[in-house]
Amino acid sequence: MYMEGSGKKEVMALRRIIKELKDMQRDPPTSCSAGPVSDDMFHWQATIMGPSDSPYSGGVFLVTIHFPPDYPFKPPKVAFKTKVFHPNINSNGNICLDILKDQWSPALTISKVLLSICSLLTDPNPDDPLVPEIAHMCKSDRFRYESTARSWTQKYAMG
Amino acid sequence: MDDVESELGMVNYVMAALTEENTDAAEQVAALATLCDVLAVSEDGLSGVFPISEFVAHLPRLVATGEGDVPIFAARAIAEACEGVPLWAKNFTRFGAVEALRDRLVAIDDIELAEECLRALNAISHECPALCLRLGVAAVVLQFFHFFSTSKQKVVLRIVDNVLNNYRTEDAPKAMEAVPGLCNLLQSSADKTILASVVSCLEMVSAGASGSAKHMNMLCELNAVDTMMKLVKNNGWKNLSDDTLSGIFGLLTNLASVSERAMESLFEFNIFDLLKQMITYYTLSHWDSNKVQMLVGLIYHLVPPCQNSDHQNQLIIAKKQVIIEQSRYTEQLASILTLIIQVAKSVGRSSICYSCVVFIKNIVELTTPDFLMEVQKTANLASFLACLLARKNRHVIFQTLDVSKALLKKHHQFFIEAFIKEGVKHAVDTIQAREKDAKSIHKKKRRNNLQEICLCFDLDSVTSSTYEACRIENMAILKLAEEINKNLLAKGSTRSPNVIGYVSKSIRYLSALLNGHAMGPPAENQNLGKQLSEFSRQLLSDELSSTSTFELVQSESIKHLAGYLSNGAYFNSKVKNCQDLTGQLTEVQNRLQKFAYLALTVENESSEKPLGILVEKLIDALHTCYDSFPVILDDEQCTRDNAMIPLRHSSTEEPALLYLKLSRSSGEMGLKDYDDVFPVYLYSTPESVEDDLFPDICIRTDRDSAACKETTQEASGSGKSDGFRDGDGHRSSKLTHSYKGRELQPSVPFLESILLSMHEGQSDIKVDPSFWDKEHKIVYRRNKSKKISPHSSYHAQLSCMHEKLEMALLKDPFFSTTLTGKLPGDLDESDPSYNFLFMLKVLEGLNRFPYHLSMCENIYKFAEGYIQDLDGLKVTISPIPRHQFVSSLLTNKLELQMQDTLFEDGFIPSWGVYLVENCPFLLSFEARWKYFCLTLRYSFMSGEVSGPSETEKYRVLRSNILEEAESMMNKHGSDTRMIEVEFIEEMGTGRGPTVEFYSTVSHGLQRAGLGMWRGDNTRQEECEASFVHAPFGLFPQPWTSAKTSSQGISFSDVLQKFKLLGHLVARAILDGRILDIPLSKAFYKVMLEQELDIYDIPSFDPTLGKAVIEFHALVKRKKFLETSLERTSNLAADLSYKNVSLEDLCLDFTLPGNPEYELVPGGSEKMVTLDTLEEYVSSVADATLSSGISKQIEAFKSGIDEVFDLKALQMFSEDEMERILCGEQDAWTSYKLEDHIDFEHGYDVNSPSVINFLEILREFGREDQRAFLQFTTGAPQLPLGGLASLHPRLTVVRKQCDGKVDDELPSVSTCRHFIKLPPYSSKEIMRQKLKYALAEGLDSFHLS
Repeated sequence: MYMEGSGKKEVMALRRIIKELKDMQRDPPTSCSAGPVSDDMFHWQATIMGPSDSPYSGGVFLVTIHFPPDYPFKPPKVAFKTKVFHPNINSNGNICLDILKDQWSPALTISKVLLSICSLLTDPNPDDPLVPEIAHMCKSDRFRYESTARSWTQKYAMG
Repeated sequence: MDDVESELGMVNYVMAALTEENTDAAEQVAALATLCDVLAVSEDGLSGVFPISEFVAHLPRLVATGEGDVPIFAARAIAEACEGVPLWAKNFTRFGAVEALRDRLVAIDDIELAEECLRALNAISHECPALCLRLGVAAVVLQFFHFFSTSKQKVVLRIVDNVLNNYRTEDAPKAMEAVPGLCNLLQSSADKTILASVVSCLEMVSAGASGSAKHMNMLCELNAVDTMMKLVKNNGWKNLSDDTLSGIFGLLTNLASVSERAMESLFEFNIFDLLKQMITYYTLSHWDSNKVQMLVGLIYHLVPPCQNSDHQNQLIIAKKQVIIEQSRYTEQLASILTLIIQVAKSVGRSSICYSCVVFIKNIVELTTPDFLMEVQKTANLASFLACLLARKNRHVIFQTLDVSKALLKKHHQFFIEAFIKEGVKHAVDTIQAREKDAKSIHKKKRRNNLQEICLCFDLDSVTSSTYEACRIENMAILKLAEEINKNLLAKGSTRSPNVIGYVSKSIRYLSALLNGHAMGPPAENQNLGKQLSEFSRQLLSDELSSTSTFELVQSESIKHLAGYLSNGAYFNSKVKNCQDLTGQLTEVQNRLQKFAYLALTVENESSEKPLGILVEKLIDALHTCYDSFPVILDDEQCTRDNAMIPLRHSSTEEPALLYLKLSRSSGEMGLKDYDDVFPVYLYSTPESVEDDLFPDICIRTDRDSAACKETTQEASGSGKSDGFRDGDGHRSSKLTHSYKGRELQPSVPFLESILLSMHEGQSDIKVDPSFWDKEHKIVYRRNKSKKISPHSSYHAQLSCMHEKLEMALLKDPFFSTTLTGKLPGDLDESDPSYNFLFMLKVLEGLNRFPYHLSMCENIYKFAEGYIQDLDGLKVTISPIPRHQFVSSLLTNKLELQMQDTLFEDGFIPSWGVYLVENCPFLLSFEARWKYFCLTLRYSFMSGEVSGPSETEKYRVLRSNILEEAESMMNKHGSDTRMIEVEFIEEMGTGRGPTVEFYSTVSHGLQRAGLGMWRGDNTRQEECEASFVHAPFGLFPQPWTSAKTSSQGISFSDVLQKFKLLGHLVARAILDGRILDIPLSKAFYKVMLEQELDIYDIPSFDPTLGKAVIEFHALVKRKKFLETSLERTSNLAADLSYKNVSLEDLCLDFTLPGNPEYELVPGGSEKMVTLDTLEEYVSSVADATLSSGISKQIEAFKSGIDEVFDLKALQMFSEDEMERILCGEQDAWTSYKLEDHIDFEHGYDVNSPSVINFLEILREFGREDQRAFLQFTTGAPQLPLGGLASLHPRLTVVRKQCDGKVDDELPSVSTCRHFIKLPPYSSKEIMRQKLKYALAEGLDSFHLS
């Protein structure tokens, strides 16, 4: 846990995180919001509105964000807290997204990451799946995939 | 005297008891027992006194007819008598002793009697083997083999051995009678010593009968071939002892040389497949030239020579029929021929090469033109012939010419074209001219041809016993060459293909194009660039592959390429006094970049990379320089057991010395005479003795005495590193030595120079024993030319620049080689191998840096706007595998040299030292490892080298392992003894706990919170007492010099840990232990003292590395824009970092991930902007790769250096270091399992439990494998070589269970690698129990 004391040490990361927070407050992205959970600036929570052109439409998804001490040289850890039926998101909420792994770049920000996650919800990538079963359904029976995703959204991401 | 008399009394009593008609059995027994006692204690001295002749007649009779225990004692008495005085054996045989004993054996009604008979027969057969053979003893004793105890079985085999040893040919039918029994034994016995003796008996049978085809055919009928083949097939040969193996192949060779039937059945058994496997094994991975010789011998005998004379003609015709008319053997023949060509090309021993060529000739004679044309297409016979014709060995040349002649006869048109293309014709011309010269000299002075060892009879040693003169007369080669030229080549096609000219032109054109391309700014000649890449692609991938090595060399293409890459430096023998070193540097780098891209890209996936083809040709070309790498062998054939490499070899004997008779050069006034004989070590060079010699001979003027003093100081300073020269240590020497008027090279050992000069023109030298007794006259004089070579000043300039250079590439030795256009050291540039070595060195370096070169190129392109986007910086080329650079010939030659006793005495040929230091990539890893082991003793830090078995025992506490290990290692210091470890309060001792100690300490060094490794401080939230997670390998964490402690870790502790790691690494190498620590490749590079630069960061920290390189590219673009004339309007937009301004990244001048580490004073307040970006990039790189870790690295290196010189490791690559330290990456692949695990004490491979067990092992994942290995061997990783090299072998035995089997657990003995496995009722239960044991057994020896 990064308590106040340890948080202070990562000055550079902190400076950057605070800037991102300010930027987000000044110019909030559509359909998402994010901010620190408590005093610990390295631990954020975000909400993502399910994109309207997707089976996740109408859902509100909670996402946790952990910044590593060598941020922005290392990607933040981002995971869904809300259950999602998606080929690239597993039951623990882990997201399979290249910019969160080897394609990370210091030029990226949390708001860009959240937008990418939004577009991942709209356009799943079943060719590089985290959950092969869902990926298979997504490719072979699109209708069933969408209806399952819709019912999960209703069940877990609404209310 | 009294003793003798009392004995005589006893003798009389015994005699009486034995001879009188009506003594009863009991009395006879008592008398015989007394006799036995007397005989048993009597010494040889008794033979004169003891009246044995009295008993000789009676004892055999008693054996035959006695009742009760009488025969037993009679037999024993015979045995005692013959063992005591062997001469008596003959006397006994006259009275039918052998028959009596034999018959008793056949009757076999009493085991005790049978054993006594054996004993007696053993003694008799030793003296009268022929008689015993004729009386059928061999067959009889074998018949009852299994009735006897193991020790008696050995006696049986000894009898058979005695009987068959050198028997006479006329007894062959009797000898054959023993064969079925022997064959049966081979099939039923698994005991290795029994196997070995049975095989040797069979070999003797075959050797004795080798004169007669009839008997040999009989041997075949008795299934000798089948039995042998059953032993060796399916990799069986790998488990046989050397003796057994050579016995088997001796037998097969004997059979094949005489019996066509044997040959046919060998063909039926696919013998060539087997031979292929074996030869590949012994030439590539487990080098052993004696075995290769043995195998090639068999191959030779399988395919008969054609124009052999008279008596064997029939056989040859018969054999021919087998080979030719059975078309199904053709494929076997073709594949073995291909292999033999490879062997002949790369083998370092001329005798083997000769045998191979003779074999090839036989095949050529036997087979059809179509077959040969096919072989030419697949194996390139012609190129092979050209390669051999370039050698100096006259025997090889003669036979090769013969093969060439035979080929031309077979298909004239086809082979003449091949011969011209591959350079055979050229070689024949050269030989002819050379021989003509020799002839004219010969008229004046008789040429001494005796110095070459005659190889003609090597192969026929079985049959030819008489000495004949060497078949190759003085003029034979000339005659043959002339014949080929006149009759065959001359009337060849007149349309001489003009390929050579064409290739040469193409390369020249390419050089010109490349030159043009490299000079101008790329913007102006994009067309040229396109044209260039098309052309070069065509040249490199299409034409290069169809160009012969000969054409490539002859067209001087290699020189042109070298000239191009070095920007002309290669052609300038004198290095131009480079004012513009920086310019030259950039230019060469630029050219390497361009060429790397061309040589490493392929048109389509399937084709080979041009670099690969080029390297293959260069290696091929290098192999034509056979004689540039002379091997010097001592006369006595002593081969070391390959498995035993003495890492701690200490020469307890006096080192061998060479005696030099030094004398002053006439007219040399500046020096005194040296009157004594000057003994030197075998490795001493003129350079290395100078410090000792010079003070004795210099005339002390004021100036000189100062010089003398200086040298002595130098000498005491340089101390013990006498055996090894520094990589670049070229002092200007004060003396010049010469031998027989020829100046000696300062860095070549005296031994080598003298021998080479004695054996003019040869490269396989056997030292005559008389050589060592002679004193060799060396003349010395002052070195007048006190020139400092232009190179050294150049190098000095270069090394000054090194400090400023940021790229590791530019500091690599390969780069300075390219830049100066010259190989390091004082190689003879006129040697034919020089060009090839140079080019290979350059290309190998290029192949190590494709990422660097390509990324650099991309960054230039980005800077100048040809790549718009930072995402376009991707590197798409990858290197060719490093093993493609290995020269089999040089590897073989070095192996051969290392096997010789001279090497053990310290002699290393100068080329060997040179290659290991400057071109290690040409030698296989195995060869270099052996070299390392054999020479490590020169690098030891302690003066005393302990013997291989001396150990020092330490007791450590597991709970405090790192501190304990630290103090233990410091205490052990530079001691070379083995370390043995026990854990306090645990039961295990010996190897197991020691092995575990190493893996436990290496785990300890990976614990989080030590402050050693990158990534240590990042995931505190997840792991309390766990380990540093480094998916890309461990790399030291930078520490700022400003702080001595951080987060409760003190820097000095960190340094101590690194020193411990150094100690551990050195000890692991020395004691052959395995560490379980995933060090990064970059860290291994540091260990090998290679330079790192920002392009190495991605290898251990990809995200940081990528960002830093992108920043670097941005800096370059900024600089380009600043200097270029046309200012772009939207400069700021071009210089954004992926559309984000640098300020928005909010980076300050602290090390990423380590905010305490300020890159500049006050760095946490200084922000990174476009203007400070350059400083930021270089300081991040510096902190990460250099200043931040230099103290840790220093500590680590000092740990190694305390034990042995770190430099000794530099002959390895980073991957090889990992292999040495951490063992094989994959624990096992399924097929190997049965081969490398033994099953004993109630189990064999077919036991149901074993089948289950193997299945379970195969199903294990990597983690389970590691746990299993940890459980059974004490280390989670296998040593180098995998399961196969685990000593002792992993053995599974049946666990005896008292209660319910399924309640038991498997247990282990880690020092012996035993696993005791209960015969569980099902596979599932076995798996459960195993897993349970693995989980529980870890970290503790309480279970054993």
